[in-house]
This record gives sequence, structure tokens and C-alpha cells, in this order.
Amino acid sequence: MSLASSHPGPGSKRGSGARYLVVLSLLVATIVAVSLINPAFATVQNFRDLLGQCAPVVIVGCGMTLVVLTGEIDISVGSLLGLLGALIGVLSSPQRLGLPPPVVVGLVLMAGAAVGLLNGVLVTAGRVPSIIATLGMLTVLRGVTELIMGGEWITDLPPGIRVLGIGSAAGMPWCLWCAAAVSLMFVVVAHRTRYGLRLYAIGGNPAAAAMAGIHTSGVKTAAFALLGLMTGVAALVTVPQQSVVESGIGVGFELVVVSAVVVGGTSIRGGHGGITGTVLAALLLCGVRPMLVFLKLGETATYWERAIQGGFILAAVLLDHWARRDARGRAVGVIA
Amino acid sequence: MTRFWVAIAACLAVLAGVLVAAGAAPRWAPGAGERPQKKLTICLLPKKKGLPYFTTCAKGAEEAAKELGNVDLLYDGPTDGSPEKAASMVDRWALRGADVIAVSPNDPEVLGQAMKRAREKGVHVLTWDADAAPATREFMVNQATARDIGYALVDTMARDIGGEHPEGKVAIITATLTAANQNEWIRYMKERLANYPGVTLVATEPSNEDQRLAFQIAQDLMKAHPDLKGIFGISSVSFPGAAEAVKQAGKSGRVLVTGLATPNDMKAYVHDGTVKSVVLWNTIDLGYLTVRAAEAIATGKLKAGATSFDAGRLGTKTVEGDQILLGKILVFTKDTIDQFDF
Amino acid sequence: MSGPIPAGSTSRLITLHEAILAALLVAVLAFAAWLEPSFIGLNTQRELSTHAIELALLSIPTCLVIVSGGIDLSVGSIMALAAVVLGMLHESGINMGVGALAAVAVGAAAGSLNGAFVAAVRVHPLIVTLATFAAFRGLAEGVSLGRPISGFPDFFLRIGSGMALGVPLSVLMVLLIAAAGLVAVRRSVAGAWVYAIGDNERAARYCGIPVDKVKIALYTLNGAAAGLAGVLYVARRNTAKADVGSGMELEVITAVVLGGTSIFGGRGTILGTLLGVALIHELRELVSWHWQHDELVRIVIGTILIASILLNNVVGWRRP
Repeated sequence: MSLASSHPGPGSKRGSGARYLVVLSLLVATIVAVSLINPAFATVQNFRDLLGQCAPVVIVGCGMTLVVLTGEIDISVGSLLGLLGALIGVLSSPQRLGLPPPVVVGLVLMAGAAVGLLNGVLVTAGRVPSIIATLGMLTVLRGVTELIMGGEWITDLPPGIRVLGIGSAAGMPWCLWCAAAVSLMFVVVAHRTRYGLRLYAIGGNPAAAAMAGIHTSGVKTAAFALLGLMTGVAALVTVPQQSVVESGIGVGFELVVVSAVVVGGTSIRGGHGGITGTVLAALLLCGVRPMLVFLKLGETATYWERAIQGGFILAAVLLDHWARRDARGRAVGVIA
Repeated sequence: MTRFWVAIAACLAVLAGVLVAAGAAPRWAPGAGERPQKKLTICLLPKKKGLPYFTTCAKGAEEAAKELGNVDLLYDGPTDGSPEKAASMVDRWALRGADVIAVSPNDPEVLGQAMKRAREKGVHVLTWDADAAPATREFMVNQATARDIGYALVDTMARDIGGEHPEGKVAIITATLTAANQNEWIRYMKERLANYPGVTLVATEPSNEDQRLAFQIAQDLMKAHPDLKGIFGISSVSFPGAAEAVKQAGKSGRVLVTGLATPNDMKAYVHDGTVKSVVLWNTIDLGYLTVRAAEAIATGKLKAGATSFDAGRLGTKTVEGDQILLGKILVFTKDTIDQFDF
Repeated sequence: MSGPIPAGSTSRLITLHEAILAALLVAVLAFAAWLEPSFIGLNTQRELSTHAIELALLSIPTCLVIVSGGIDLSVGSIMALAAVVLGMLHESGINMGVGALAAVAVGAAAGSLNGAFVAAVRVHPLIVTLATFAAFRGLAEGVSLGRPISGFPDFFLRIGSGMALGVPLSVLMVLLIAAAGLVAVRRSVAGAWVYAIGDNERAARYCGIPVDKVKIALYTLNGAAAGLAGVLYVARRNTAKADVGSGMELEVITAVVLGGTSIFGGRGTILGTLLGVALIHELRELVSWHWQHDELVRIVIGTILIASILLNNVVGWRRP
């Protein structure tokens, strides 16, 4: 079972145009529906909060999209988020290392990129299948996180760090600015640079890409490193939103991110999809829980959050299946 | 091909070597070596290791252990609060021959099994902070009666809301739905709310001891019920989470937050006006009392049917049936909170 | 893809990989005996063995799924779903035996959903099982409303903690199932089919092997085993909750891969998987026992997973 395969099919970067529309219309439809049922939903404040909650998924999702485009996957991002969060706490807390904020920011970003790089090297040079490598890293990173936390939560993040999470500029919190900036940047990288072209090429047909002279290992490793860096960015703007750093940050995060990528139209086999879809799908998936609260269905409604998210993925998969039927109504190739 | 396996074996050997050299955790060798006086092994299990509430309890516990001198204290618990992991720990401690295991069960049903098995092996078992079925433990070290806690919370909120007849919608953010202590408190809170007909409870949500989740739930509650007047954060984690949400929403003072958390966690919120009152008890004393009681049970100083026992610096503590009460509930306000450091 | 004839028809009783795993297991136990003598005691081992039954039960069919070229990330979630179903049926007064059968049936149904998506809709198994991993657990959470159910009858709990022939009952059950599986795979035509599909699916199809049916059967079997694991878990812990088995999928895949199964399919044995399970179990229990830190356990297992494949590749043994 390999993730990147050479299958014939539309290798176009815009091949999932229809998917964006589907996700977008679903998003708009649900927002409208919930707003009609509970008008308190449709306020600027609320949307700002919602976007804030989605920000980490968007930021990391952009990086993940690139990795998935090459035909690989990284399920260790949740544990990495936890580790970097713990690092933020340990590095900046006056009771621990008490380093100045700019140093902390730099170290956290470097650490994120380093772990991403490690993942990339394991996958390319080590030839460990990415699902296995990142599965292993997921457990190792979580263990390391708990080790450095030392069984105690960090409760005294200094204001210089907290401003990253709760500060804002022109009315929008930093996490939103980051998410917007990262999304735009990645759209440019994916669709307008040669690096992006190479990503799609490798995912669409690795053998052909290699023969065309593309340095597959380099491109893939860079994608992993970039994903790690993005996880660092996400950690920096979301962990300081709370005054405590706990050891369980990020558990289950990777699922939401990968789901956003897949529901957004990027094929797990690589070569298809894009950033826009990921961003829209992230908004949709993250919006499930708040919407359930607003629908006032009772205190137990939010327990269906994960079921609904899983349902979205299955629906996306079925949608792909029907979309790819050829003229005679048979499925074209193997999909997703 | 053999090279591969030599490599794997070498890796494992290196790993083993590193682990041994690190000697990371307190090594426990019951009965090993010649000791002039056999030490009692007391294991203290929190609901979720890492929570500042429990960390402060552990401090008190360590203080008692040092004072007593004949106690080897092991404080450990699942960092994710998983009752199954906690039960596995209890199993393991019992197998290794612990003298006393003190449990704060996140799920009394799951831990009850393990506690029963431990008792069958001759280990003394007591509960602290939260209770389990009476048949599974010998004593319960309780901070205060559930009634006192529940009533204190509601009375404090009513006082914060103010006025002759306090009015408004309130919500409760609790820990997990299985925690027996929170559930008991909620029961008494509902009972006490009957005294305040103008105050209605609109929601009770669990936050699973996850501050981030409590934060988000508080945000959602405020938006789903725009006229929400008060939020109870009855776990040491949901309280600061809710306070943070209220503060970030700019509603400090309009939405009142009260609950149970350590004064250190809440000082900032009390001083900036987001929170008027903090309800708790002295957690350091709770840990201290637990270890004292554990040692007393193990050495026979405290037996079933006793009505009191000597709890070191806490004086003589009354024992009611199988409950050992710490006693006092404390309410911290802006004027008093700085006096406390835990 | 190069490789030996699938183990289904090998004449050797035990491969070199398995022999070395067994030697490693002995080495670990010897190390444990030196470090912490009480750990090795028969009594201790017997009690600790119940911690591994779910892992063993889930790893056996997952091994076959991976050998056939697929993967299943939803086993932990199916376990939870089955446990919750059992709990809710018990609460509504239904007989435990019926409840247990229903739970296993639900597991099988869930597995067949996976199989249907993989075989009929032709979706990549990673994506299907990632989706069902979320969906099934979410279903369990929604149906149980996050509430744990306990208070199961004594005779049921005895399955979890009772003994027979000096060995815990549940362990005996799992060993029997493992033996049955071992024999079935080695001696049946279907067993050989599984390897053929994993080795070269297209060729298998041309050979007339009913690839789709086999795949669906494998995932269904996996689901049923997960259902059974859920039932055993409830018997052991007296609680049925929606977070049963979370994180199991990682351990299962680690055990299977460690046991010599190739993630690309076509190679791997049940015996190897069982040895992998035993190795992980002993390591995990030893680290927990001696160093008392769960964190170390995680790091050790994750490292072993990566190291085993890395070394495999770097030392240039066999690259599928």
C-alpha cells in the first residue's frame, strides 16, 4: 500500500474546482441555517471567535496540504503542537527557564522546523513509509512533551508571550492575521511557484517526476519542514490564549487537520487539490461544535461533534467517487 | 540480514542503557537493602496529574511524609486523567506491595475494581478529594461535606450577583460527568438554588479537566445565552478557563464567575475584577491530612470505629464514621487572596 | 515486488524474523529479571497478561488486513462502539449473552462498512479508516452521551478477571483464537489468497481470486475482533465508555509492523505479530513497573516502531 501512485487522471491543479464550490456552499448553507435558528450566531464577535478557534487548523492545514500533495501524510502534528506548546511554557515561564519572548519565538519555530525536517528525512532518506514514521513520532513526541512538563502544568506565562495569543491589531487577533497571511502565502507557493509545480508533479506521478529531474527527496523534505514550521506558528498564536500550558494540548488535532485537507478536495494519493479547499473545509469542520451549541439542542448535542466530522469525510469520499464516474457510469481508476 | 538484527539488538541495548543510567523516576525497591526502620510505602493518586490543584495537594503530602520520617511517598497519576490508566497503576502498586494507596477517583466504577483487588491483597486503601463506593475503601479524606461546598458556591454566586433577590441565568461548567465529587456538589447546588427563585440554571457542561475546552464552552455559553449572568466553574480548571473567556469577551463584571480553584491561579482575575470570589479549601492541608491518615491507618493508630486521630500540625481531627473531614471552606476575595500562596 | 513465497505455503515452521523476535523477547525478560526480579514472577506476569489481550486480539486480524495491502485505523473506535452498544443494551435490561453477541455483530457491521468503502467504492483504506475512526467513535460518543455505563453482572465480570487452568480466562480465549487464526491462515486457500492480494493485487485478480470479497471479509473480521475486544474490555474494567480503546490503533500497527509484516503488503505472519505483541507488552509493563513513568513507555514504543523499519531499510535487507 503506497500513498503516491502513478494513476492516470486529471493532473490539473485546478481539478478540484467543483469541490471548493461544494464545501463553500455547504459552509454558507450551515451558517445561514444556524443563524436563522439562533440569531445570536450571526454577530461579528461570534464570527471572530469562530475564526480564532479555526486558526490553528487553517495554519497547519496549509502546510499539511503541501505534504499530502506529494503523496505523503503527517499525523504527528498534534503531538508536535503539544510539544511546542510545552516548549513555549518551559522556555518562557519565570519558574523554569524564563527566556525573553523573542528568543522563545525563535527557538519554538526552529524546533518545529527541526522536527518536520526529521520527519522528512525519515521518509525520504530512511525510506520509512510516512504513515509509520509519523505514527511513531506521534507517540515519541507526546512522551517527550510529558517529560519536559515534568508532571506539572505551567501556569505563569509572562505577558510578553500571552500577547501573542490575546493581543490584536486593528480589531483582529494575531491568530487571524497569521491564518490569513499563511493561507495567502501558501496559495501563492502552491500555484505560482516552481516549487509548487514540483509538488504536484511528484504527487501525480513520482516516477515521471524523478525522471524529469525533480529532486523528489528535497521537495518532500522541504514540505515536511515547512509543515513543522507552520505548527510552530500555530502554537505561538494559540497556546498563549490560555494562561496555562497543559500536557494534553493537541491530542486529536491531526485528525481535524487531515480531515480538513481531505474534505477540502486534496487527494490522499497526491497530485490533486489545493489550499483553498483546505481552508474552507477547516472552517466547516471547526464550526461543527459551536454550531451545535448555538442550536441549543441540549447539553448532549456537542457529543456528536466527532461523528459529524467523520460523516463529512465519508461524504467527501463518496462525492469524489460519484464525480469520477466516466460517461458509462463506471468509476475511473482508484480514487481518493 | 544478521546485521539488521544485530543492529536492532544494539539499539535496544543502548536504549536500555540510557534508561538505566537516567534512573529517571524514584526507584522503588520495597524491602531492598538493610534499613534500620522499614518505611511505609504510600501511593497518592490524583484524578489527573499536572493539575495545579493536585500539585499543591502533593506539596502538602510531601511535607507530611518528611515530617513523619517513616514514609516513602509516591505521587503519580495519569496525565490525561484516564481512569483506566489510573486503575492499571493501582494494580501495579498493589502487586509491588504498597502499604497504603490513596485514590482520588475520576471514575469510581473503574477504579473501584482495582481498589477492591488491592484490598484483597492486603493493601490499605483510602480515598481523598473524591469518593468511591464505601466497600472499596476504608476511609475517605474529605475536604468538607458536599453540602457545605454546594451551598457555599451558590451562596457566593448569589452574593456576587447582589441585591435582595438575586436574578439571572447561570450555568455550570464541571469536570467530567463521572466525577463523584462534582456530581455531589451539583446536587446540593441545585438544592440550594431553590432558595433563590430568581436564579435559573440553564446549562451544565463537562470540560474534562481541559482548560482550553472550558474556555471555549464558556465562550459558546455566553453567546448562546446572551443574558447569562453567572458561570460556575466547579473544577480547578474550568474556573480559570471560564474567567479567561469572560475577560476576553470584555464582560468582566457583567457575567460573574465563581467556582473552585487555587488562589494562585485566580489572583490575576480577582485583581482585575473579572472574579469577585473564589471558593476553595486549603489543598496543601488536604494532601498533608491524607498522608497523615494513611500513615495512621498503616501503623494501626487509626482503626475503623475511631472518632478522632492525631493529624500532626492540624491537631486532632474528628472522624465521622468513615469520613475524615478537613473542615473549613475558604472564600477568597480581593482583600484576602494575597495572603495565600498555593 | 520481490519476496519469498507467502508464508501461507512455506514449509518452514518458523522464519528467521520470528526466531529473532523470540530471542529478543527472552533478552528483554532476562534484562527485567536482573533489574527487577519481582517482575518476572509467575504471579505478576499472570496478572499483567490481561493488559495485553485487547492488543493481541486486535493485532491478529489487522495483520491480515495489512498483509493484503490495506490498513485499518478504526479498530479502537469500533471497540468503543461495541462497548457502548453492550452497555446500553445491558442498561435496557437485555441479557448479557445477547448483548455481547450484538456488540460483536455491531463490530462486524462496522468493519464491513470499511470493507465496502475499500473494495466497492475503491477508496484508499487510509482515508476510509481515518474517516470511520472519527465517525465510529463519534457515534459511540453521541449514543452514550459521553456517559459511562457500569454495574455489569458478576458472572460477566468473571470473564474479565476469572482464571482457568491457572491462566486468566480472557488470555486463554485470545490464545485459542490466535491458534485458530494461525492454522487457518497457513492451511487454507483463503489464507494464501490474502498474501497473493497483498503481493500483487492486479495479478491476483487475473488469477481469478475474488479480491473484493476477500477484502470485505478481512475488514469485517477485523471489525468483529474489535467488537469482541470491546466486550472483553468491559468485562475486565466494568465500564463501558466512548473513549475505550483510544490510541489502540497505534499500538496495533506497531505490534504488527514489529512482527515482520510489511506495510506494503504481501509479507507477514500471525506468529510474528503475536511475538511483536508480547515484546511490546513486556517492554511497556517493564518500563511502567520500574521507572513508573508512562512517558518513557510512549517514547520507547514509538522509537522501536521507527527504528525497526529504518534499520531494515538502512541496512539494506529487503526493500519491497
